[in-house]
Amino acid sequence: MDCNCIIRSKLGLAALALSLTAGVASAEELLVGAEIPLTGSLARVGAGMNEGISVAVEVFNKTNGKHTIKVITADDESAPAKAIAAVEKLAGQGVVAITGGYGSNNIGPASDAANKLGLPYITSGGVDDSLTERGIKTFFRINNTAGYRKAMVGLLDDMKVKSASVIYSTKEATADLAKDVQKELAAKGMTVGMHAFDPAITDFKPIINKIRLQDKSEVILMAGYENDYVGILRAAKVLKPDVKAMIGVWSLATPKMVADFPDLMPSVYGTALLPFPAEFKTADGKLFADTYKKLYNKEPDYLGQFGYVQSMILFEAIARAADKGTLKKGGVVQELARTDRETLIGRVQFNDKGDNVNFVHRMGQHQNGKIAIVWPSDAATGKMSFPGVPW
Amino acid sequence: MLDLILQALYSGVLQGGSYALIALGLALVFGTMKVINLAHGEFVLLAAYMAHTVEAKLGLSPVLAIPVALVLVCLCAVVVYFLISLIRKDRELNSLILTYGVGIILTNAVLLIWSADVRSTSSAWMQDAFVVGPFYSMRSELLFFAVSIVLMGALWWWLSRSWYGRAVRAVSSNRDAAKLMGINPRATEIVSFVVAGILAAFAGVAIFSYGVIQPAFGHVLTVKAFIITVLAGIGSIPGVLVGALLLGVAEALTVTLASSALQELAGMALFLMVLFVMPNGLFGAAGRRG
Repeated sequence: MDCNCIIRSKLGLAALALSLTAGVASAEELLVGAEIPLTGSLARVGAGMNEGISVAVEVFNKTNGKHTIKVITADDESAPAKAIAAVEKLAGQGVVAITGGYGSNNIGPASDAANKLGLPYITSGGVDDSLTERGIKTFFRINNTAGYRKAMVGLLDDMKVKSASVIYSTKEATADLAKDVQKELAAKGMTVGMHAFDPAITDFKPIINKIRLQDKSEVILMAGYENDYVGILRAAKVLKPDVKAMIGVWSLATPKMVADFPDLMPSVYGTALLPFPAEFKTADGKLFADTYKKLYNKEPDYLGQFGYVQSMILFEAIARAADKGTLKKGGVVQELARTDRETLIGRVQFNDKGDNVNFVHRMGQHQNGKIAIVWPSDAATGKMSFPGVPW
Repeated sequence: MLDLILQALYSGVLQGGSYALIALGLALVFGTMKVINLAHGEFVLLAAYMAHTVEAKLGLSPVLAIPVALVLVCLCAVVVYFLISLIRKDRELNSLILTYGVGIILTNAVLLIWSADVRSTSSAWMQDAFVVGPFYSMRSELLFFAVSIVLMGALWWWLSRSWYGRAVRAVSSNRDAAKLMGINPRATEIVSFVVAGILAAFAGVAIFSYGVIQPAFGHVLTVKAFIITVLAGIGSIPGVLVGALLLGVAEALTVTLASSALQELAGMALFLMVLFVMPNGLFGAAGRRG
């Protein structure tokens, strides 16, 4: 073997070694933290979001080809102090960003903790405006109160009603939404009766009776959660107020409510991203739905969709930052801020406060065991059945 | 306005009956053993989930779940009693920590077995309206209000007339003196725990029949039961009924005459006011009859 040959073979080995090293670097497993309530009062919604995150991991790892994501999940037990501890624990395990969070009161301190640790935090679980008013540059949110308000008010515009009664939980997110809706409806000249309720309330008959005998409104708006809706609709079925529609927000126009409370749901409205049975028209949507059904053997719901979208946006930003070599130099935050992408919930772009400027929800209506999108008209999959109530 | 107030009173009375049913078991154990069973709400919840299982899996009325719920909850009650009996020092204080821990374990067991979804009966008969004049309620509310009154009467009779009931009261008054009279305190305490379990089983099936349940609901029930027990006066069964009715009516009237957001606050204000004027509760100490 001559000298040149030895040099060539050594160079070849070195090149092979380098390429292998580079290969390992480019295909490195990137750690992401998921801080989610898996126990406590928010366990139901937390589990729904967690499903979406898992679907995002599956889809990203299958389609990206270059990077793989591994999610480490920490249960925040639906408590703010535990949410901070969960974020700190995840940071200690070397995650590059956090996805998850549910409830504005948990997300606030958790994202503060993430910010102090220099970790980007993305969520769809808190719509309180104060979250984005803090000016934290590492915080991103794909949905907000304004998007829900626009949907509710838009539906009422289509109904051409003149009066409404709002029953709302005193929790921050629901109270803020109810007050925003009231302001906008009052500005349009509508009569609005407001009925706040403590989250611990179980008997809604005295409230419904006030609406029936005093407010005499045309529609009832509900801003609460699943257990509240069931209580309100049950009370309304007993007292039968003379209203034309029962309209709620999140957690109401869902396949779960169709399956669990079929007698309470007919003609009831709620925010919904997709009709049920789900119809996915985009390739991304079909991939999400197929993966979701494969993993969980059920129809995807809105919690899964939000969890999926927030996580995919984060994973893609991480991948871009990794490609640019800025992963540990604040690159993920920069890439998230540059996001401009069509998703299952519409176009996502963040403003300088980290809020998605394009978010507008849709309104669905329970019709014959299915959910039809009835607002806005350009997304409608069915005609609004109005007037209509479950009794 | 009169219609509103009448309905509020009616709703409050029915709600009070429900509160009384939940609080009875806690009041019994608290009264006889001075042990605050912080897992009592989870016992009630366990029975509620049994009712859900019987309805969802077997397609039967939740009322038919009562025998299964009785067995399961009484078994849990006995286990908790044995755990408490292992405490050698400061039983009243240490049992608080123990039962709180048991409550957490049961909540998480419910979460694992039944998931975090909200559950409620799908029985049309239970949910149908029962209307008499200006009074509106669900059939299930009226049914379990009647059950609550019957169980309270039965418990009062058992405590005041039966040998075991008297034994329970004797042990609660003076454990050593009761022993001298030939009463086995351990057996008596087990009996009171089992009776509390029976009451919790009925309460759980009732809640599932007219309300909504979820795994984190147990501690809410415990807190409500504790408030009523203290309001009533420790160990007083008639006091539990009066305290629960007062609480239910105060809450419903607050919703009707003021704001529904103040409902819980009104309940707590009533609780503090009664304790301020009558530190032993409504039927406590000298006024005790039960």
